[in-house]
Amino acid sequence: MRRFPRLTLALVFALLMALGAVQGRRVRHLRESEAFYRWLQAAAVNERLFQEEAGENRDAELFAQCNAVAGELQELAREAAARGAAEGGEDLSAIAEVSGSHENDRRLWDIARSAELAAPRAEFLKLAKENKLRFARDIAYAEAQQGGVSVFNLFFGFRKVAANFVWIQVDRFWHQGNMYRMVALMKTCVSLDPQFVEAYLVGAWHLSYNATAKMLDTPWPQREWDARYGACVGEKERYYHLAIDFLKDGIRKNPRNYKLFFDLGFAVYNQKMKDYANAVKYLSEAIRLPHERWVPRQLFISQELNGEYEKALAGWEDYIKNFPDSQTALEVAPRRIQRNKARIAEKAAEALMAQAAQAADPVEAERLKADALAKRQEALTIWTNLGDKDGDAFRLRLEAITLREQKRYLEAVALLDKARWELAELWDELSDMIMDIKKEAGIPLSVSETKAELRRSEAGICPGMPEAERQKVLEGNQARRAAS
Amino acid sequence: MKFAEILRGPWTIAVYTYREGIRKKTLLGFLILSLLVIFGSRFISSFLDPSAETDIDVKLIKDICVSAISIFGMLITVFISASVVPGEVENKVIYTILSKPLRRWQYLLGKFLGAQLIIIVNLLLMGALFFFALYYYQHVWPTLLLWSILLTYFEFLIVSAFTFAVSCVSTSTVVPTIAGLFIYITGNLTEYLKDVQNRAGQTGQWLDALAGDIAKWLYEILPNLQNFSLKMQIVNGMPNDPPRDLQIPNLIIYGLEYGLAGFILSWLLFWRKEV
Amino acid sequence: MSTAVKTTKLSKIYEGALRGRDVHALKALDLEINEGEIFAYLGPNGSGKTTTIKIILGLLFPTSGSLEVFGAKNIHSAAVKRNIGYLPEGAYYPEFLRGEEVIEYYGKLYGLHGRDLKRRLDEVIDLVGLAHARKRLVRSYSKGMRQRVGLAQALISDPKLLILDEPTTGLDPIARKEIRDILANLRNAGKTLLISSHELLEAEMISDRAGILYEGVLQAEGRLDELLLQRDIALEVDGLTPELVEKSEAAGLRVEDRLGERGKLRAPEGLSAYDAIRRCGELGLKLVSVAPRRETLEELFVRVIGAAKTSRSA
Repeated sequence: MRRFPRLTLALVFALLMALGAVQGRRVRHLRESEAFYRWLQAAAVNERLFQEEAGENRDAELFAQCNAVAGELQELAREAAARGAAEGGEDLSAIAEVSGSHENDRRLWDIARSAELAAPRAEFLKLAKENKLRFARDIAYAEAQQGGVSVFNLFFGFRKVAANFVWIQVDRFWHQGNMYRMVALMKTCVSLDPQFVEAYLVGAWHLSYNATAKMLDTPWPQREWDARYGACVGEKERYYHLAIDFLKDGIRKNPRNYKLFFDLGFAVYNQKMKDYANAVKYLSEAIRLPHERWVPRQLFISQELNGEYEKALAGWEDYIKNFPDSQTALEVAPRRIQRNKARIAEKAAEALMAQAAQAADPVEAERLKADALAKRQEALTIWTNLGDKDGDAFRLRLEAITLREQKRYLEAVALLDKARWELAELWDELSDMIMDIKKEAGIPLSVSETKAELRRSEAGICPGMPEAERQKVLEGNQARRAAS
Repeated sequence: MKFAEILRGPWTIAVYTYREGIRKKTLLGFLILSLLVIFGSRFISSFLDPSAETDIDVKLIKDICVSAISIFGMLITVFISASVVPGEVENKVIYTILSKPLRRWQYLLGKFLGAQLIIIVNLLLMGALFFFALYYYQHVWPTLLLWSILLTYFEFLIVSAFTFAVSCVSTSTVVPTIAGLFIYITGNLTEYLKDVQNRAGQTGQWLDALAGDIAKWLYEILPNLQNFSLKMQIVNGMPNDPPRDLQIPNLIIYGLEYGLAGFILSWLLFWRKEV
Repeated sequence: MSTAVKTTKLSKIYEGALRGRDVHALKALDLEINEGEIFAYLGPNGSGKTTTIKIILGLLFPTSGSLEVFGAKNIHSAAVKRNIGYLPEGAYYPEFLRGEEVIEYYGKLYGLHGRDLKRRLDEVIDLVGLAHARKRLVRSYSKGMRQRVGLAQALISDPKLLILDEPTTGLDPIARKEIRDILANLRNAGKTLLISSHELLEAEMISDRAGILYEGVLQAEGRLDELLLQRDIALEVDGLTPELVEKSEAAGLRVEDRLGERGKLRAPEGLSAYDAIRRCGELGLKLVSVAPRRETLEELFVRVIGAAKTSRSA
C-alpha cells in the first residue's frame, strides 16, 4: 500500500465492484426466482381449480417440464396425494398438489430457486420475455425478465403508487357510469400492481353488482352461446363472467389471499350466478387459507344450498366447538344445524319413497314408505320447533308435498303459495312446484304462470349452442319435470 | 487501543459533520414536505368511494408514504453527499482540517460517516412520522414499514457513495448534485443495458457487436437500483409473497459492497487531490 | 540556530487545463525559516505565498524540489503535522457551536482527548483572551473574536510552528494590537511563526526576518535590519516661501509638502543630519524638527518588486 497506494486502491475498488457484480447476480437470481415462484403458483392454481386451457401459450408445457424435474416435490406430492385420496381428492401434478396448502410455500420457494429447476427457470424467463406465457404478463415478470425496454421500468419503482392513482381514476369512471373505460383501466391498474388485491375485489364488485344493477336477466332466446365460458350469455351475464375472469386472474397472482376466493365463491357464484357448486368449491379454498372468522359461515350456507347437508351440518357443529362464545355460534349456528338436520331427514324420506316406489315386494314397499313417513315427520317436527319464518316455510312445503301425494292439490297449492311468501329463497322452487301440481291436477295456470312455463321451456337454451349441450339441457329439463 | 485512536479522528469529524448538516434548513424543508404528504395522502384517499368499505385507502397511504420516503430521502441523500466535502473546500475549513495530523482517508471516512448519519436520522424521522400516521389509520403497528426503510437506506448508500466520490473531485456542490441525480436515474434504468445487449449484433457490424459487449459488461458491473423495488412490495406484506429472509440480507450485502466501492473510489480520487 | 522549515529548489507548476498555459507558481524556491523567529512572508497577490504554505501543510504537492520541517522530510506524517498550527485567511467556524466547542473539535483532530484536551483548551482560551466568551455561540462573536478562535485552534496542540495567513486583516486597531502582542509572546516562548500578510506595517513591527516573493522567485530574504537600509532625513521647516522652494530643491533638499510657509523637506541618501541642518540655515529656513528615517518595509517591498518587474521586462 505504501509503495503503490493508488494502484492498491484501484485494485481494491475493482475487487469491490466485482464482488458487487457477483452479489448482483445473486440478487437478480432471487428476483427471477420470485417471478418464477409466482408463475408456478399461478399455473398450479390454474390446474387445481380452473383447468383453463392455455391456448397457444406455453404455460402447460413448461409446467409439465417443471413437474418432471422437481424430484423433491414428488415425495411431498405423494404425501399430499395420499391425504387427498382419503378425502376424495383429484389426481393432480406434484406442484399443483403441493401448492394446495399454504404451509408448503416455503418448500416451493426453495425449489423454485434451486439449481434443480435451473433449466425450467431459464426457459420460463425466455418464454416470459417472448410473451408466450399467459400467466406471466404483468409487471412483476417484466421486472424479472432478462432485460426489457418495458415501459414499466420508467416508473422507477413507483408503479404501486401509479396503480393507486389509476385506481382513483377507475373510481371516477365508475361514478360517471363509464363502464367500458372503467374495465380497461382496471386491467391497467392490476397490470401495474398485481398484488393490488383490493382492486380485484372492488373491480369484481363493480362488474357483477353495480354494472348490472339496473339490468334485467337476459331472456334465454336473446342470449348467445359463448364457447369460452361454456354458457349462454347476454350483456348482464357477460359482466358476471368478466367478474369471474377478473377474480380468477387475481387468484392466480395472489393464490394465498382468502378474500379473492371468498368473493368469487360467495359474491359472484352464490349471490349472482346461483351456482352453488362453484360457490362451495371456492369457499372451501378460502377456508384452507388464513381467514376471518365469518368466512366459514358462507361456506356452510352454500353447502346447504348445494344440497350438501351433511357437510354443512358437520361444519356448523365444528364452528360451535371452535368458537363457542361467538355470536354466530350462539344465535345462527343452532338454527342452521336444525335446518340441515331437517333437510337430511327430508332427503332420506325422498330416497326411501323412491326406493318404496321401486320395490317389487309390496311388504318391503310398505316398510320403506313407513320409514319415509317417519323421516318426513322427523323433519316436520324440526321445522315446527324452529319457530321462525324459515321453519314455517319449510314446514308448509313439506306438508304440501304430503297433500300432493294424497292428491289434495288445491290445499297443496294454497300451502305452497303461503310458504313462498314466507321465505324468498324458496320462491322459485315453490312456484315451480305450484305449476307442476296445477298441471298434474289439470288446474289452469294463471297468465304469469303460463309465461313462466314458457320461460322454463326455453331455459338453458340459446342460439349458437352446440347440439350436444342443447340435448343435455333438454334431457335435464325433462328429468326435472319427471321428478317433480 | 491503536484501532480506537485511528477511528477517533474520523468519528470526531463524523459527529461534527452530522451536527452541522442536520441544521440545514433544506432538511427541515423536506421533513415539512413529508408531513404535507401524509396529510395529502389522506386527502387523496378521501376521493375513493367510501361505500366500497375496503382497505384501499390504507394501501394508498402506505404506498405514498414509501414513495415519499424514497423521493425525499433520495433528494436528501444527493444533497448531503454532494455537499459535505465541497462545502468545506468553499469555506476553507478543509485547510484547517487537512493540516491536522489526520490522514486523508480518515477525513473522508469521517465526512462519509457523518453524511450517512444525517441520511439515517432523516430517514428515521420521516419513517417515524409515517409509522405513527399509519398506526393512527389502521390501528396496527406497521412493522413492515421498518423493513422498507432499511432497504431504502441501503439503496441510498449506493447513490450516496458514488455521489460522494464525485464530490471529492469537485470544488462546488453543483456538479456532484447533478451527478447524484444522474446516478440515481441511471441506476434505475440499468435494465436498458440488457436490452441493448439483446438487440446488439443484428446488423453484423463489429461496432454493433462491441456496443453489445460493452452493454453486457456495464449491466453486470453497474449497480442496479431496481433490485431494491422490494421495498415497495414488502410494506404491504401480502400472504403470497415468498419468504424474505434471503432477499433482505442479500440486498443489504449488495448495498454494502457497492457503498464500500464508492467510498474506495472517493479515496482514490481524493488521494492526491490538491486543495 | 536550527531550521524550522527548509525548502530546496522547491517548484510548483499548475498544469493548464485543455490548451491553457501552465502556471509556474514556484520556481526553485530556496527558503529557510529558523526556529524561534517570526518570519514575514511577503509578496503581491499571485506570487506564490499561499502555494508555499499549502505545500508545507501538505495540501498541495510540489512538482519538484524538497521540503523539510524540523528536519523531517516526510511532512505528511502525524508527528510533523502535530507540530504545525495553521490559521487560514477568512476561515469559517460553525456558528451553531460555542467558541470552546470549536477549539475542542480541533483539539480532538490533533489527537487530544480527556484531561489533556481539557487542560490545553483552558490554556489556549486564556492565551488568546477568550475566557469571557468561551460559552457563547460563535454566531455572537465579533471578527476579532473569531480570529482568536482561529488562533486558538492553531495553538491547541502546542505546535512548534505556527503558520498564519493574514492574521490581522479586517480587525480594529485594538484587536490588531492584541493579536500582535500574542504573536510576539509566542515567539518569545520559543515558537516559530510564519506570517503571510499584506499588512506590511504590522509585519515590520513584529517580524525578525522577512522574505519577498515575486512570481515564484524569492527576491529578497534576511533580517529586517539588514534589508531595510537607512535612507534619508526628514526636516520640518518654517519660512519656506515660494522663492525658497526652488532654492531648496537646488540645494538638494526635496520639498515633500508645503502648507503656507511651513514645509517638509527630505535630505538625500548619504547626506548627514549636520549637513542637512546647515543647508537649511544657509537658505534662511527656520528648523522645526529633524528626523533620520529608516526605509520602511513597504518601501523595501515596492523597491524589490519594482526591480523584479523591470528585470523581467528587460
